[in-house]
Amino acid sequence: MSDFDRRKFLKSTGAVAALGGLGVFGLGTNRHAFAQSDAATDQPEVIQKTIPSTGETIPAVGLGSWITFNVGNDIELRKQCADVMSAFFRSGGRMIDSSPMYGSAQDVIGYGLDALGAHKKVFSTDKVWTSGDGASQIKETSERWKVQQFDLLQVHNLLGINENLPLLFRMKDAGQLRYVGVTTSHGRRTEDLIALMKNERLDFVQVTYNPVDRKVEDYLLPLAYDRGIAVIINRPFRGGSLPERLEGEPLPEFARELEVKSWAQLILKYLISHPAVTCPIPATTKPAHAMENMAAATGALPDEKMREQIAAVIGVLV
Amino acid sequence: MSEWWDYGLADLLLFSPRVYYRLFEIMNTTWWLVVVSALVAGVIAAGLALRHGFRGNRVILVLLALVWAWCGYGFLWQYYRPINWAIPYLLPGFALQVVLFAIFAARPLPLRFGWRGDFSSYVGLTLVAFALIAFPFIGLIEGRDLLQAELFGSAADPTALGTLGFVLLSRGTWRWALLPVPLLWCVISAGTLWVMDQQVAFVMLAAVWVTVFCGWLDLKNGVTTKRLTEAEIKDPSS
Repeated sequence: MSDFDRRKFLKSTGAVAALGGLGVFGLGTNRHAFAQSDAATDQPEVIQKTIPSTGETIPAVGLGSWITFNVGNDIELRKQCADVMSAFFRSGGRMIDSSPMYGSAQDVIGYGLDALGAHKKVFSTDKVWTSGDGASQIKETSERWKVQQFDLLQVHNLLGINENLPLLFRMKDAGQLRYVGVTTSHGRRTEDLIALMKNERLDFVQVTYNPVDRKVEDYLLPLAYDRGIAVIINRPFRGGSLPERLEGEPLPEFARELEVKSWAQLILKYLISHPAVTCPIPATTKPAHAMENMAAATGALPDEKMREQIAAVIGVLV
Repeated sequence: MSEWWDYGLADLLLFSPRVYYRLFEIMNTTWWLVVVSALVAGVIAAGLALRHGFRGNRVILVLLALVWAWCGYGFLWQYYRPINWAIPYLLPGFALQVVLFAIFAARPLPLRFGWRGDFSSYVGLTLVAFALIAFPFIGLIEGRDLLQAELFGSAADPTALGTLGFVLLSRGTWRWALLPVPLLWCVISAGTLWVMDQQVAFVMLAAVWVTVFCGWLDLKNGVTTKRLTEAEIKDPSS
């Protein structure tokens, strides 16, 4: 990326951290401004992040549904998923992400939204994942969610990108969709993703990022920041394996000022303190974990030095 | 750009072991009479297969057709399909297996079940006994509730394993037509169980390996190519 000043970018990372607990602040441009939530929730001080293409703000932590919400027709487990969604919304969360690839997860989200009457509260995020008829898949997806219109639709893992991305742009232009994005995971297809970020008018990209998988820090995140593209983070806990491996290990002393209660919260603070990151989407089956994750989007955030320390400590422990 | 073959096995894991094993609990408690009947059908088929004199072939084939039909509709369609989008692509295989059993049952007996006393017979008996008796208790060893037991005739894994055993206990020129579907299921299931960190994945793979090995042995020894004589039908030990 030729026009990107890395030093300025890293400086701004420090600025985010230094101002993390102080309320409204910016990073030189309005499109990357943070704000504090004034929503009437259990945790009113949820950090909001700005979607650069519109200036709209959303809470800095979302909710994923991969594996965790694929519970089929099991009514007991569906109720548990609705409880997770309830805890997530009560804690100030909004973005829920799913995919046609995730089995029954879309139906379960629809069930939860119905049960909670939360159709207006949710920032609905899903994907198109087909090399066939994308339009009919999107129609089916909206029926499963029981929503008229999605806030964000993404081309899942760039599958059928040549057909599906123009379809999403046409939907956006027709007012049937608010935001368009693409997703990858596990650091794959980076070159294709970079080409799309440079050449298409994307609102969002979704990539894998955590204190162990940091490759996106080198180029993708700075590029997204520079191009004004919001970034959703998948696999923030490496599919749950990071907190599992860190279980029983004491939290580092240097993180005391962040007032985190768990490694999961420390990881999320690490992620959302990056100025290019809009919203990690951790998945969980437990309401308490949904609340804990949302609590990571409150209070102070680590500065650049502490971010490096967090990555170093976690890198050693796992 | 991205295509289907870019995906690794772990990418295609869609559900947790908790959700997967709950499927059996719900099926076992909701359809308990059918589940028990399917298991009893398997026991009857095993008893007939081991009886002296190659009798009861049609009954065995009809029973196996029925349990595969129930397993496909009851387990795969009703319970597994909602959490696994790949199931509609696998169901035609189960339908094919039912049709094959029905054809074998209807034709003038190109297939006969019975104890031959060779290595394949021992392996076949072991697989049938394991599928009927031992497989349901694997979950107990791993700390799961007995209600989540996977039973022959309803759950796909023990049904496929047991079917491999039944085929190895049979002889006839066309018996191998009955192997591809259960072998394929065992391989797919082994992959699913492996990405879920379930040790039983190795059992499924071992069953595939030993069945293919026995198939090769039987081919070499003429079990599958040599036509049954009237004397052999009357006296299997001859």
